[in-house]
Amino acid sequence: MQDQQRAEDFTTYSEAIIGFVQWLRLQGMGVGIHESQQALMAAEFGCIKEKALLKNAFRLIFCTSPSDRQQFDSLFEFFWGREKIAVKGKTTYKNQSNIKKKSPASLVWMGMGNGSEDQKEDAKKVSGANQVARLRKTDFTRLTEMESEELEEIAQKLWKQMSLRMKRKMKASANHGRIDLRNTLRRSLNYGGELIELRKKSPKARRKKLVVLLDVSGSMDTYSFFLLRFICALRVHFAKIEAFLFSTHLIRITEYLHTQNLETTLKLMSLRTDNWSSGTRIGESLKQFNDSFAREILHGHSTVIILSDGLDTGEPDLVEEEIKKIKLRTRQLIWLNPLKGTMGYEPIQKGMAAALPQLDHFRSANTLDSILELEKLLINV
Amino acid sequence: MGELNLGVFDSPESVIAACDSCGYLADDELATALFLAYKLGKPLLLEGHPGVGKTEVANVLAKALDTNLIRLQCYEGLDVNSAVYEWNYQKQLLSIRIAQNGNGHTGNLEKHIFGKDFLLKRPLLQSITQEKSPVLLIDEVDRADEEFEAFLLELLSAYQISIPEMGTIEASKKPIVILTSNRTRELSDALKRRCLYIWNDFPDFEKEMNIVKKHHPHIEESLVRQVIHAIQYLREQKLTKYPGISESIDWASALLAIGTQKLDRKSIEKTLSCVLKAVDDVDKMKNGELERMLGELATVI
Repeated sequence: MQDQQRAEDFTTYSEAIIGFVQWLRLQGMGVGIHESQQALMAAEFGCIKEKALLKNAFRLIFCTSPSDRQQFDSLFEFFWGREKIAVKGKTTYKNQSNIKKKSPASLVWMGMGNGSEDQKEDAKKVSGANQVARLRKTDFTRLTEMESEELEEIAQKLWKQMSLRMKRKMKASANHGRIDLRNTLRRSLNYGGELIELRKKSPKARRKKLVVLLDVSGSMDTYSFFLLRFICALRVHFAKIEAFLFSTHLIRITEYLHTQNLETTLKLMSLRTDNWSSGTRIGESLKQFNDSFAREILHGHSTVIILSDGLDTGEPDLVEEEIKKIKLRTRQLIWLNPLKGTMGYEPIQKGMAAALPQLDHFRSANTLDSILELEKLLINV
Repeated sequence: MGELNLGVFDSPESVIAACDSCGYLADDELATALFLAYKLGKPLLLEGHPGVGKTEVANVLAKALDTNLIRLQCYEGLDVNSAVYEWNYQKQLLSIRIAQNGNGHTGNLEKHIFGKDFLLKRPLLQSITQEKSPVLLIDEVDRADEEFEAFLLELLSAYQISIPEMGTIEASKKPIVILTSNRTRELSDALKRRCLYIWNDFPDFEKEMNIVKKHHPHIEESLVRQVIHAIQYLREQKLTKYPGISESIDWASALLAIGTQKLDRKSIEKTLSCVLKAVDDVDKMKNGELERMLGELATVI
């Protein structure tokens, strides 16, 4: 920062403005040549007369979001002002070094590395004609490491098939719909204005928004990871996928879904979430979602999937209240509870029972087959 | 390309004065924004919470410049046919029939029926074919699809519209474009970079008082003070829908209408529907929040 030039180091105003633009660029703001031209013009129109005016004008030209605007004021003061302004960055660096990093090894399929003999036996007990069919019906937590790799392969193939199937379904509807007068008329010119061929247009299949809230506490992480892979396979079919992890609090992981390699994605996530595999506070996590993200993310057209076992250490009333709020802003609300797949399960935990009346679908999603069933729900939105 | 042919704004101060005469209080930043949008010929993107008076800016600007306001309300599924242009099919069909029954210049027919007479102008096309630079308001652009946003780029950077059957139509007079967004989704960078960007926040106490007084010149000073205190208190609470500036103005009118001089429990209960627009929020008020608010009001007045 010491050798950074300021406005007073330049001889003319135009040079100072160019210097300012270059400096903003160094600070990570997306300022282009076009913007510098605009800034020079603004100065010419008389904005240079007064500092406050210049600041307003430049802020309008250079900023494109609320966060830009926050950053801009101090940058401006630093460059144009006389008095020194403290550099903001320092505190954040400190925080970053405090984040506990987990070793990547602790993550991928949690708890699977030490698959005991018991688990292997359990897995084999599930009846099925062949290995593939059996694996598809096996609860994720009961897979051995080797089996999980195998299941991985099967899953990959199925994800691909599923993508294809969904595409075809959307295409088939292209011949229905209203008459497209514009095209029909155009076509009729070939027949001397006789309307022989009718052209039609159908509503364009609109891609919907999908929001996933994944419980990663205790035993849920295995299921959560599998569902996440399923969601990533569906990525192309949705306009936007938003993903969140929660246990004691909520973390947004949407940005990581866009990483190409999913393996890396999962590693990145484990580095970021320090609350991985701890106790659950569903109500509070949902509240956090509603308070901070729902306004921005949820519209009447979105589908929300919550994956959780419903074992809550917080207030059940809060769960009910927050679930209601989510329901109001969505088209379809799906709760996946892996425990539902186990024999004799009843949704009697308080949190779960409170949420139940609000749900459109309540599914198990503990095996590959049950996850694939979700496809039907998701494409009919 | 046509230049702006107006010429009343020559400094941000003159913008403030012009807005003031139209009954709108513009602060320095907004005035600078309007001044630059006008001078640089750049669209202005207004973002902010619902109810902070974003749309009103365009209305006032049109009034101040004494020009037309052309408004395009965005919604999901908005397409070119309803935003830009549409062919008048009935007229086209009729024209084809006439051509057939008469001696029929079928050679010219296509050129004829895709001519100017058969074009229905929708807001965007209207805005670039005016005699005098209009104000074009593209309201709640965040509601439109991303595809539509991409379409806007051509209009906003080159002020021209391409119609396949006719060619490109260039603006005779450049419109002054105001876009508003409630930030329900992030707009694309490409669109933002073509615009001047301003974030409208809720006004501070003094400014909001002045706004309400501007709309109700005869209102009692003490009543306005109480209303604004109450509104600002409500905004700090965790509500489903925050009351905006229009709510403050409405509330003041309602209180004037029932002829009350003081904001007490009775008058609040009567007029609550002007301020709170969600069932949850009304319930919250009934369950104790009202007492807390009255307590708060008692301390400041």
